[in-house]
Amino acid sequence: MKKFDFKKILKHTEFYVFVIIIALSLIIQARSGLFFANNNIVDLLRSLIVPSIYALCALLAFVSTGPDVSFPLIAALSAYLAIIVTKAIGYTGSAFLVFIFAIIFGMVMGALNGWIIVKYKFPSLIVTLGTSSIFNGILLGAFEAGRMDLPQPLERLGETSLLTVKNARTGLGSSLPMTFLIMIGLYIITYLVLNYTMVGRGVYALGGDEISAERAGFNVKAIRFGIFVANGAIAAIAGVCYSVMSMRYLPTEYEGGEMIVIAAVILGGTRMAGGVGTLKGCILGTLLLTMVSNSLILVGIPVSWQRVFIGVIIIIGTAISALQSYTAGRIKSKVKKEAA
Amino acid sequence: MGRYGDMMSNILCAKGIKKSFDGVHALKGVDLTINKGEIHCLAGENGCGKSTIIKIISGFYRPDEGAIEVAGKGFPVMTPTQAIKAGIQVIYQDFSVFPNLTVLENLAFNQVLANKKRLVNKKEFRKIAEEAVKKINFEVDLDALVETLPVADKQLIAISRALLDNAKLIIMDEPTTALTKKEIKRLFEIIAALKKNGVTILFVSHKLDEVFEISDSITILRNGENVISCPTSEITEEKFAYYMTGRHFDTAQTRKNMKKNIGAKMLEVKNLSAPGFENVSFELHKGEILGVIGQLGSGRTELSLALFGLLKPTDGKIIMEGKEVKLPNVNVAHKLGIALVPEDRLTEGLFLSQSIVKNITVCRMDELASSIGILSNKKSVEESDKWVKGMGVVTKNHELPVQTLSGGNQQKVVLGRWLATTPKVLILNGPTVGVDIGAKYDIHNLLRKLAEEGMAIIVVSDDAEEVIETCNRAIIMRSGYVTGEISEEALSREALALASN
Repeated sequence: MKKFDFKKILKHTEFYVFVIIIALSLIIQARSGLFFANNNIVDLLRSLIVPSIYALCALLAFVSTGPDVSFPLIAALSAYLAIIVTKAIGYTGSAFLVFIFAIIFGMVMGALNGWIIVKYKFPSLIVTLGTSSIFNGILLGAFEAGRMDLPQPLERLGETSLLTVKNARTGLGSSLPMTFLIMIGLYIITYLVLNYTMVGRGVYALGGDEISAERAGFNVKAIRFGIFVANGAIAAIAGVCYSVMSMRYLPTEYEGGEMIVIAAVILGGTRMAGGVGTLKGCILGTLLLTMVSNSLILVGIPVSWQRVFIGVIIIIGTAISALQSYTAGRIKSKVKKEAA
Repeated sequence: MGRYGDMMSNILCAKGIKKSFDGVHALKGVDLTINKGEIHCLAGENGCGKSTIIKIISGFYRPDEGAIEVAGKGFPVMTPTQAIKAGIQVIYQDFSVFPNLTVLENLAFNQVLANKKRLVNKKEFRKIAEEAVKKINFEVDLDALVETLPVADKQLIAISRALLDNAKLIIMDEPTTALTKKEIKRLFEIIAALKKNGVTILFVSHKLDEVFEISDSITILRNGENVISCPTSEITEEKFAYYMTGRHFDTAQTRKNMKKNIGAKMLEVKNLSAPGFENVSFELHKGEILGVIGQLGSGRTELSLALFGLLKPTDGKIIMEGKEVKLPNVNVAHKLGIALVPEDRLTEGLFLSQSIVKNITVCRMDELASSIGILSNKKSVEESDKWVKGMGVVTKNHELPVQTLSGGNQQKVVLGRWLATTPKVLILNGPTVGVDIGAKYDIHNLLRKLAEEGMAIIVVSDDAEEVIETCNRAIIMRSGYVTGEISEEALSREALALASN
């Protein structure tokens, strides 16, 4: 039905991110010959898992309300609680139940965010900054959480892998963990909800114009509250995935993960003012930043320079979308002139 | 059988509606009767209770007292859903659209939600949207994002969406505010077509010419009370202004009383070009008001910006008091004694959340400060007091933020700020856009007075009436060029219409 419209594609930020990804991968490949090696690709996918799940939280929050910066600490605290509970009851069954524990804890924390934001109409950035700090305090202060071994169900999950490869030339190996499937699953669910349910369309509608959404008949408060609860659940899943992949619970490793994820999501075309953002952009933005932090080392660029690189990419990326809205505005005024 | 007595022909009858907010009486017993199939105009100045009565009719507010009947059926309590079911639809000034979504979704959402559907069915969406645009023969790309469309199209989306719900009464809240003349014409054609199809329209406006052009009958409110309800044919333009404001305006008299005090040449523009206009030349003398009349996009705004140092000319000369000047930025223009009252006072002219005092004195901070740069609060208040009184700004306290004022009073504050700097050349771009009749009259009189005192003034406007009432001379701009000049003797509505077509 839909015609292939190249001009339309050129308007999407996602397209430019895609081009940069291709260009960067070709450059790294040309300089090192190691980028398209099977182990590097698997490594890349592996490093993509947690940030791209986080990216869902950032996307949902930006599209509907505004920034949410609490997901890394919801991840840390809910994963911690789920592990403690699992150990306390001596549960050794399926990892599925551990995830459910974490999701419940995550939803409670997300509900706290949602409740404050909906009820008191406070800016989401301030609220989530505040709750982050609270969750962090509870985790490290009240619970005095330290490094821990995983309970049996998670340990087993961490030991199984989806795919293991070994590079014949370098002898380096890499394996893709089961959590990769969880990420794919979450993306499919989010895609379906956002595009094929009225609640999903409501997320975009309320990001576009809250008053209009209310007048149209969307339950704005319920949708917004729901988003933060869902964000809590998604963050909790990411939190458990992270511990599974590191084969250990590391309480201090979570903090600070939000900035690069938010940058990735914005880079992927999500509008900070709300209403606009796609999963495609989300995953491409995350992939690009993951690539930079993972693969630049292959061309011999030291770790400290990667941060410079990331900064440059973020600025260029946002500049492109800013430029686009600027030119869009100019085109509009041109049309107006013709009409007058 | 009187036209207003027949219950069966009423689509809406609201009687004795009272509503207070925190003890302030917004409506003190308002009656509003609208006949089936007519275009009824609801007029009144800002704050007269227009928007409150709309919100009561559409069920968003509950009246403290009074009764509402829709098509003969009483509604003791009206909710938004009931109002929609009864066929009442409001088209708000912001059109209630989702800029980030497609036309398709904007059109379909209301119905899909009303049917309590949970899932998205693209085919159903498209069917609903196609049905909607067909109602007013509105041609638009259904897959386009609404934010890429012009304002007029957003309005048409709102209208066709309202029609989908079998609207019997469409309330349009100041629908022409953001439209160009052409778009207004198209809107009026659509309104006429809707009327033909038996849809009743409640047209909320305070623009004289529009009200007379489109409406069958009028209800005018003032301070939350009915002033008059009658067929439009029974009312004259003078009476209309009087009913709205409670004041008599004699614009013909103002013009006749124009004292001329035209002095030396103040400003000369020679073959000036900049992005937006080309080869513009004119002279402006002390004590003279020059009208620059043109439609949106004619280059009128760009010209005013270039004369204030906000747009860099590519060619030509600006000569002030016999000396050629360059205006690289606003500061230079400011020092030369040029002031601009911008087109959009909300975004360009005012610090909305700041107090009236600060808004008035902001351009004179240097003078009001002590030698070490500390602002004297007392001096500021005195200065602002002078202008608030002098301009007739209606406010209880000038420490209040400017956003609490009505449009007319905001405009007076912007004017006051620039007048406080005692400019030699005052440029006003659309000085009375969105300002009600009373304030408009005050502003026009003030401009005349300033000219009499020797100020050179340029009024940039698309309002022929305004140019005729205030200006000594007018130049006409179209597509970036000056296409004509009209002298004072020849300045009339006909001459302007002729010249600008």
